[in-house]
Amino acid sequence: MGRFIVRRLLASIPVLFLVSLITFGLLWLVPGDPASMFLDASATAEALERVRRELGLDRPFLVRMGEWYMRLLQGDLGTSLLLNRSVTSAILERLPVTLSLTMLAFFFAVLIGVAAGVVAAVRHGKAADQGMMTLALLGLSIPEFWLGLVLIWVVAVLVPIFPPGDYVPFFTNPWEWARHIALPTFTLACVQMGFVARMTRSSMLEVLGQDFVRTARAKGLPESYVVVRHGLVNAMVPIVTVMGIMVGGLLGGAVVIEQVFSIPGMGRLIIGAVLSRDFPVIQGGLLFLALIYLMVNIGVDLLYAVIDPRVRLE
Amino acid sequence: MKLKFLQLALAASLALGAVVPAMAQKKGGDVVIAMTAAPPSLDPHATSAQVARNVNLHIFETLYARDEGARPVPDLATGVTVSPDGLTYVFALRQGVKFHNGKDMTPADVVASLERYRKAGASASLIAAIDTVAATGPNQVTIKLKTVQSTFLGNLSSPRAPIAIMPAEEAAKEMGKAASIGTGPFSFVEYKPDSHIKLARFDGYKPNPAYKERDGFAGAKVVHIDSVTFRFMPEAGARDAGVETGQVHFNEQADSTTAKRLRGNANFQVISMLPFAAQILKYNMAQGAATDVNFRRAVQMSLNAEEIMGVAYPDINRIDQSWVYAGSAYHTGRPAFKQDLAGAKASLAKSSYKGEKLTFIVHNDRPTVDAATVMQQQMTATGINVELKVADWPTTSGIGLKSDQGWNFWTHGFGIEPYEGPASAMSHWVKGQGQRKDDPTIDALFAKLNGEMNVDAQKKLFAEFENRMADEAIATNIGNYGLFQVASSKLKNFKAYRIPRMWGVWLE
Repeated sequence: MGRFIVRRLLASIPVLFLVSLITFGLLWLVPGDPASMFLDASATAEALERVRRELGLDRPFLVRMGEWYMRLLQGDLGTSLLLNRSVTSAILERLPVTLSLTMLAFFFAVLIGVAAGVVAAVRHGKAADQGMMTLALLGLSIPEFWLGLVLIWVVAVLVPIFPPGDYVPFFTNPWEWARHIALPTFTLACVQMGFVARMTRSSMLEVLGQDFVRTARAKGLPESYVVVRHGLVNAMVPIVTVMGIMVGGLLGGAVVIEQVFSIPGMGRLIIGAVLSRDFPVIQGGLLFLALIYLMVNIGVDLLYAVIDPRVRLE
Repeated sequence: MKLKFLQLALAASLALGAVVPAMAQKKGGDVVIAMTAAPPSLDPHATSAQVARNVNLHIFETLYARDEGARPVPDLATGVTVSPDGLTYVFALRQGVKFHNGKDMTPADVVASLERYRKAGASASLIAAIDTVAATGPNQVTIKLKTVQSTFLGNLSSPRAPIAIMPAEEAAKEMGKAASIGTGPFSFVEYKPDSHIKLARFDGYKPNPAYKERDGFAGAKVVHIDSVTFRFMPEAGARDAGVETGQVHFNEQADSTTAKRLRGNANFQVISMLPFAAQILKYNMAQGAATDVNFRRAVQMSLNAEEIMGVAYPDINRIDQSWVYAGSAYHTGRPAFKQDLAGAKASLAKSSYKGEKLTFIVHNDRPTVDAATVMQQQMTATGINVELKVADWPTTSGIGLKSDQGWNFWTHGFGIEPYEGPASAMSHWVKGQGQRKDDPTIDALFAKLNGEMNVDAQKKLFAEFENRMADEAIATNIGNYGLFQVASSKLKNFKAYRIPRMWGVWLE
């Protein structure tokens, strides 16, 4: 397993390089630069050029790219053009916020999604199945930003149970942290919940129709044991694959959710950087997100071996 | 006897009247302001962005500042003596002014700040007329100009990218790197990017004794609250929800639906901040169809200002096509242009335009896009083939600030210049800055205005400028628009101005 992990980690280096190269290429193609964020519409072209010089944007693109890679090799992601701080510190400040939001959403999406999928499969064709799948489809179909705005309106403004936005760190006030993160977590989890529920249902239906399940039932094993030990465990491989993909969806969704709920996380950092063309932050932020995604997928591959002993990582 | 009693009663009621507001003022509390975006920099010299102004003008002050009527009045200076030839300005500085780091403000700080700004400030052209700046006494700074500039004090007091006074050691730092240490009524506490900026009342601040109350960006800045938090909330729904749930005390920009809904609700004060800016249509006179005056006139005659402003800014617009706001001594109250489709078609026929597709750039702000869309439709009715190109601000301004990027039209807000007055409003069209091609008449009018000390003569020159802008269709001023702002009823004594001023207010 050790060799497997090392091999996968080494394989992720070219992936990260490719991500950074594509990001650089796209930034080069996109018009506009951060200098204009400092000026209003009445600025002169000369003022714009002066700000560009001050920010070092007048240097050739390839020179800037070379410098960035040189710094990256020394573990330095550069300095934000607008935040007046290093990109690494800006990312590390926001990472716990985004991770707590996505991990919580992941936990609830998996917990509720798998439970709903199992119930739907066991009650196949019955009202419970149809009800669960309708809810799952609804969750999949509602755009996250819309659901977030509606939830703010209903449970923050009309019936003020939750705050409408902002973020309180866990170590500052755990109760307030929970109150502030509840709505964004639920909103973010909703889409993925539907996804997991539908995936679990179809995977469970396939497994529950297998001969070994019929044999288990014929042996007189309790139904709950058959469903969980023989059904769910065998249905988990495709579900775990979905979980790996889900992390990407959650990280993408967090970008929108952080904007709607005014949460200062990685998503807002990157959106703000894209809108203002803060190149070092875009580069560093995307590289970090790609790294998280890769790590999660390595984790998923390791889980396969835990779930299914037939899988040999070596 | 009866008369005496009445006199006594009147005196008592007057005394009570004087006392009651003072008693009502409460000290303490944190006011939360919802802002649409974060400032690109907290170095006041580095940026002319409106969002930066909102914060920086609480931290920093200038020698002269604009009063409630946008006139330049002393702020960190107590006054100025101008030499008879109009070239030398001797500023006497207010004594006992402290920076937030505890240091006294000295003439050396003023000199260093002005030198820094004129070298690399975001609006360095404002004080380009300065020849030398020198400390000429323990509380005195002397500025010598290269040429007479009647608008010099106006420029010096511009809030656009404020010519803020900072400690000399901060002024020595490169642009964008100065720490937020000013002389203003609030001192900097923290900046959490993507979240908020917090300022605290500066207890070492002494309100300007020359004034009794707040007056524009000047006046007596008395602070009752402990702190102010500027929260960045780009999502309009989140800002509205923040005010309605009491998390936010002031929303700097609400949509008209929310404003209508909350108007009449005793828990909120809905403020119509009108005018906030003028919607203008720029022509790229350096290339393409807009080099031809007949074409530009055809476009101008195609436009129906009421329809454009009504669609883009329902309930908060005013058809006023003067280049300064109503209330200014220079406001001409010129009659609005009328849509004339027959005239537009005739003028278009006289022009060199042959039906080619033209590019109209606009940034992705909803009302601005709406305004551009209506203009596009009105131009199409005249026979002008226009394609809208909507992009974000960096892209649009990156194109619009240059002549050779293939654009023909650009519409955006023109906010601070009409507030600042005639010189500021004119300066954007000098040396072809806004229209991308020199107009010698405008350049000459601007030069004359700068040298003219008589206000009546200045008004005449400004009226000539406005006529030139309209007759030659150098740019079209469609009308004024405003902002709806919502304040919690807990925020007392708030008075809307160009920025949400947090001095003079208190929380209940």
